[in-house]
Amino acid sequence: MSSTRLVLGWLYPREMNLYGDRGNVLALTHRAERRGLHLEVVMIGLEAEAASLIPACSGFFIGGGQDLDQVTVAEDLVGRKGPSLTTAISKGAPLLGVCAGFQLLGSHYLTQEGTSIPGLGLLPMHTVAGSERLVGNLLVEADPGLGLRAPLLVGFENHSGRTELAPGVTPLGRVVRGGGNTGHSGFEGAWCGNVLGTYLHGPLLPKNPQLADWWLGAALACAGEDPELAELDDSLEEAARVEAIARTMHPDRAPRLRLLGRGLGPRGAG
Amino acid sequence: MAGPDLRLSAAVGLGKLVGSASRRLRLGGGTTLPGDVARAIDPRVLAKLAASLTGGTVLVTGTNGKTSTAAMLRAIAGTAGWRAGGNPSGSNLVFGLTAATLDRADRHCRVPLDWMILEVDELSAPQAVAEIQPRGLVVLNAFRDQLDRSFEVEQIASRLESAVNRLPPTSFWVGNADDPRVALIGAEPGSRSHRSRILFGLDDPSAARAGLPVVADARDCPRCRGELEFTTVYYAHCGEYACPNCGFTRPAPAVRATQIQLFGLDSLQLRMVDAAGLGTSISVPLGGVFNAANAAAAFATATAMGATGAQVNSALATFQPAFGRSQLATWKGARVRLMLAKNPAGMGENLASLATLDASPVVAIALNDGIADGRDISWIWDVDLEGLARARRLTIVASGTRTRDLVLRLAYAGFEPDRIRVCPEPGAALDALAEMATPGVPAPALLTYTAMLNWQRQLVRSGASQPFREAV
Ligand SMILES: [Zn+2]
Repeated sequence: MSSTRLVLGWLYPREMNLYGDRGNVLALTHRAERRGLHLEVVMIGLEAEAASLIPACSGFFIGGGQDLDQVTVAEDLVGRKGPSLTTAISKGAPLLGVCAGFQLLGSHYLTQEGTSIPGLGLLPMHTVAGSERLVGNLLVEADPGLGLRAPLLVGFENHSGRTELAPGVTPLGRVVRGGGNTGHSGFEGAWCGNVLGTYLHGPLLPKNPQLADWWLGAALACAGEDPELAELDDSLEEAARVEAIARTMHPDRAPRLRLLGRGLGPRGAG
Repeated sequence: MAGPDLRLSAAVGLGKLVGSASRRLRLGGGTTLPGDVARAIDPRVLAKLAASLTGGTVLVTGTNGKTSTAAMLRAIAGTAGWRAGGNPSGSNLVFGLTAATLDRADRHCRVPLDWMILEVDELSAPQAVAEIQPRGLVVLNAFRDQLDRSFEVEQIASRLESAVNRLPPTSFWVGNADDPRVALIGAEPGSRSHRSRILFGLDDPSAARAGLPVVADARDCPRCRGELEFTTVYYAHCGEYACPNCGFTRPAPAVRATQIQLFGLDSLQLRMVDAAGLGTSISVPLGGVFNAANAAAAFATATAMGATGAQVNSALATFQPAFGRSQLATWKGARVRLMLAKNPAGMGENLASLATLDASPVVAIALNDGIADGRDISWIWDVDLEGLARARRLTIVASGTRTRDLVLRLAYAGFEPDRIRVCPEPGAALDALAEMATPGVPAPALLTYTAMLNWQRQLVRSGASQPFREAV
């Protein structure tokens, strides 16, 4: 049993928690716990004193929110928390942003009315409000640079923003099915070092546990610990992932899930 | 000028023809197709037909409870001796409302009824109000529901607000004082929507919950976005609240539900007190605090329509629950209770009831991701399955097109593998329920919308249940 203690800074859990984002935090806590690591979750909200919690965090997560909340959050995130957050990230703390949380990682978000909402500028990209929303299941072939064992990521997207990556920015992956960053670029998400953003919710981490492990590894390294993670039995996660892939590829096919096995056996996915 | 409206007669005649043909050929779509056709011929058909009612139309909207509340109102109308129609099929977009009204029209293009009581989808409510010019509108609540379709709670709420603002000056609307976002509508004293509103609310802290659910939709003040303080939570984000920042508080409801008593998932009693302080005791054969709110809404609306408290009570005492709302069936000798759980608020309410009011050692949950369910199933991570796992020693039968997502969620919530049975198909899930049920205790099944349809079909196919029809 290791006595390693990690701290997850959950940014704006009240405002940015629209699409089951709580599941992402649960995934990180569970996967840490199952390895004997202690992951403490610290809520970092809009309160003035919350910024002082940032330096003690070994990594961060920010989820999706309603448009209304995004403006308030952006002001606070960039203005009040930006400097200490940027410092923590330059020291290697991982930051995962999902949906609106992904958009806030870029330089700015240009609304339908032409207002520019500033972002953290951690990833060289920006987002422009689109007229139609991209809504549906999303299947992504992850960037090989991430070194994922099973490089198909799956989730659900629901966004009107179109995110344009600057030349040279590495997307999280290639769109296999769905809209992704712009609906036509063929790219989804973006990542650079210890910062990763994506439109995949569903939530993202329970069904794509390798990304949870990417975050945990980076957080361990940031805490000066060995980033090597023990293998876990991911049969339930794998079954949910394969089922979601099947629903993405054949949304209207009558459910024929016998393919996935009946019991809770190992790997489940036959 | 006063000659026959040929466009309207064509719309009604051809619409009805398509309706009966589609029924005869069993094509399905009988609940909207006549509406599609009639509106293509005369876009004003719904407005014209609605104008011929002697009493008028009452529209019921809000995320949860509209089917039950509308059914309660139709039952009350019957007891009050009024002729009333509606859309019990739940086809609640403007085409469905048109088809339902058309169905009751006579050959003189008039609807020979006193009332049409129609549930209407929240996003369609403004258009429905603009066309129908209803006599009354009921706004129940605004919760997250099918975010892939309606996107955001605030968008639902602003549609509800715009529906209220489109009401004719002589109409009334009934709003839920316990839902902060609904209570903000018409909060401005002196505004027309303030003068025409009748608020209902629950008023019995003994029926309250410990606190807000883990993920609540409206914990923020709808006026200033500050944090609301809840002193009482009855269900979801509904209760007594105040904003320390801007002073927005729960307005005092004109019609209050007091002395709320819940008898498991089977029935409830409450005492409705109106603005004059007059009380009426009411029993409803439906369980859960949520249905107390529906009954309160129905009471407030029916009395505004002219019914007496005694008529409300006599109608609700023998009320038949709407499709899939706590419907009992028998499967291989075991009793099964089918409950619709189509969004976080509905699922959360059902889970809370199961944790405290129910004794079955086994519960089925079926999660589908069809269009009618909402393709996005992320919301299962927002409901308090942890609470259920802690509350009682239970086995969960996991079913539906997203069984494996549900199993993963259950495992995270603390259900050990031996407390989860994986049965994607309805038949196998029903078998598992029957096998583990305690004799005499109905085993609950929480089902998303299309899962409910599949389970009903399975029950009918096996002769275990009659095709379900609402008594109109
Ligand atoms: Zn306020």
